[in-house]
Amino acid sequence: MSFVHVEHEGRRLRLAVVRTARGVWVGWPGGARFFGPERGEAAAAPGAPAEVRAPMTGRVVKVAVEPGRAVVTDDLLLILHAMKMEYRLTAPRDGVVERIFCAEGEMVDLGATLVAIAPAPAAVPAVAAPATAAGPATAAATRAAVPGAEGGGGAA
Amino acid sequence: MKVLVANRGEIAARVFKTLREMGVPSVAVHSAADRGAPHLDLADEVAALGGADGYLDGAALIAAARATGATAVHPGYGFLSQSAEFAAACEAAGLIFIGPTPEAMRLLGDKRASRRAAEECGIPVIPGANVCETNDDATRAADRVGWPVLLKAAGGGGGKGMRLVEREADLDEAFAAAQREAGAAFSDPRLLVEKYIAPARHVEVQILGDGREAVALGERECSLQRRYQKVIEEGPSPGIGAATRRALLDDAARLARRAAYRSAGTVEFLVGPGGAHYFLEVNTRLQVEHPVTEMITGLDIVAAQVDIARGGALPDAPAPRGHAIEARLNAEDPHRGFLPSAGPVLMLDWPARPWLRIDAGVREGGEVRPEYDPLIAKIIAWGGDREQARRRLAEGLRATTLLGVATNLAFLIQVLESDMFRRGETYTATLEKTAWPEPEAPAAAIAAARRALAAPAGAAAGDDAAGAAGPSDRHSPWAMPDGTGRLRP
Repeated sequence: MSFVHVEHEGRRLRLAVVRTARGVWVGWPGGARFFGPERGEAAAAPGAPAEVRAPMTGRVVKVAVEPGRAVVTDDLLLILHAMKMEYRLTAPRDGVVERIFCAEGEMVDLGATLVAIAPAPAAVPAVAAPATAAGPATAAATRAAVPGAEGGGGAA
Repeated sequence: MKVLVANRGEIAARVFKTLREMGVPSVAVHSAADRGAPHLDLADEVAALGGADGYLDGAALIAAARATGATAVHPGYGFLSQSAEFAAACEAAGLIFIGPTPEAMRLLGDKRASRRAAEECGIPVIPGANVCETNDDATRAADRVGWPVLLKAAGGGGGKGMRLVEREADLDEAFAAAQREAGAAFSDPRLLVEKYIAPARHVEVQILGDGREAVALGERECSLQRRYQKVIEEGPSPGIGAATRRALLDDAARLARRAAYRSAGTVEFLVGPGGAHYFLEVNTRLQVEHPVTEMITGLDIVAAQVDIARGGALPDAPAPRGHAIEARLNAEDPHRGFLPSAGPVLMLDWPARPWLRIDAGVREGGEVRPEYDPLIAKIIAWGGDREQARRRLAEGLRATTLLGVATNLAFLIQVLESDMFRRGETYTATLEKTAWPEPEAPAAAIAAARRALAAPAGAAAGDDAAGAAGPSDRHSPWAMPDGTGRLRP
């Protein structure tokens, strides 16, 4: 947890680096970002469950599905609540809810896996595209989250 | 006097600093989620609030004041600061409420009552019709005030039930849609019709009263907003002339006198093309952006509130000097739909500059709580002129390090460095109309991240980061918290 100085485009650049259990935060003059580990091959394999992760730290206020439930893309999975705003997380693809990793009322961390969705049994052979299983999952979660942001309150 | 501050975060910390300076004993309160929060360390005593409602629980706050022997309550902003009922309950309990009287809050805090009061003072209001029952009513009202018009829900705000109608042919459809939306949001489908003012600036005037006399301490321009949340505020306004400024200050002071206003408040105006100004509403409390006025007047507004509450004199309004700009550092990610981002503050380093003021509500090792609003800190820069203040604020933001939660730091710098901001062309619709592409991480930062990730977890971070930068990897899949690639809006 410290500053380091590196050469960048011929100038010295001050970076702040903090390693966490999930990845690393790096800050530079005027910005900062979290970097997670690169994903292994297994996660990207066709037919692997899609994992829906928490796009932010917050409280799970509703779990709308249960294990074994068949879902289609954009079905509501659960609702997260943080800082007076509500976020709806939806299914990234058609499939069957394999496992739910959280409960209503529970606080979850940014990036925590919340729901795993297995491909629908009939669909498995058809899933041939090497599209990453995890990529679309998060994309869907984030896209679903954006409309929820409309609920932002009007403080001064 | 012994003051209980019925608030948390940066504003509680800010009030405690003034109380310490004045030698006034203080009491901090905290909700269950805020045990160990930084604002508690700046008070002389600490009391826990029972119940689930925390800072919204008036009875618990008054009980805490009684238990600690506090004789006055400072409400800060948000929570119960604009509740006339809470102000009255404090007074009934024998506590001094450091704010307006409940009567002034009822008169000026209610949108319709304050609009009437403004009209009676001869202050221009946005031309419009009160309630329109049918689309024929609305058409007649629009013909009278001039097209285009805004349809607004009579029962509430926040943009719900709001429709811009450019011409008569579009009115029927917009009226029906706005009625449906207003009915769903507020159980009240009634609509108001208002002349649409564009482009408009949001300019507000800081007022201070002692219950008889009132002064206007200068204006702040707060046009740069997103979903009705202010992002950057400054004073003086770069977009009004001397005549408009004088009219705004005179109108605000006149309204304050009419309400026999006590303590600090803000009168908000919309300034349209040509400098025409229209009364919007009054915020009957200390405002988030009050430091802008403090920086250019040298006046401590909280100290003035405390003096007035003790029966002291109203300070003279000092002549403003120079320029101040405030940026709100929020725990939210502008490039992912402004998702709020709670979590631990792993590293925090603020710049120290003679011209920078930082009002913060977090500390390293603490956390940004998901229960409350995402404001982390306000960074305010003073300069001899607007350009110097702008450059100082941008430099101060670049020298700010906060790791552990996503923030809008890069977005604030982008706005400050934009041609729009440099030219002072700040209007209420500007932020949302402009695309703000996500700035790239420097290649050296990506390389440092890669090296840190390659080291065994738990190894001292950064030890090996001082090498040459790796190749630029703008398509790095690491940028999302879960390593799956970052979405672009």
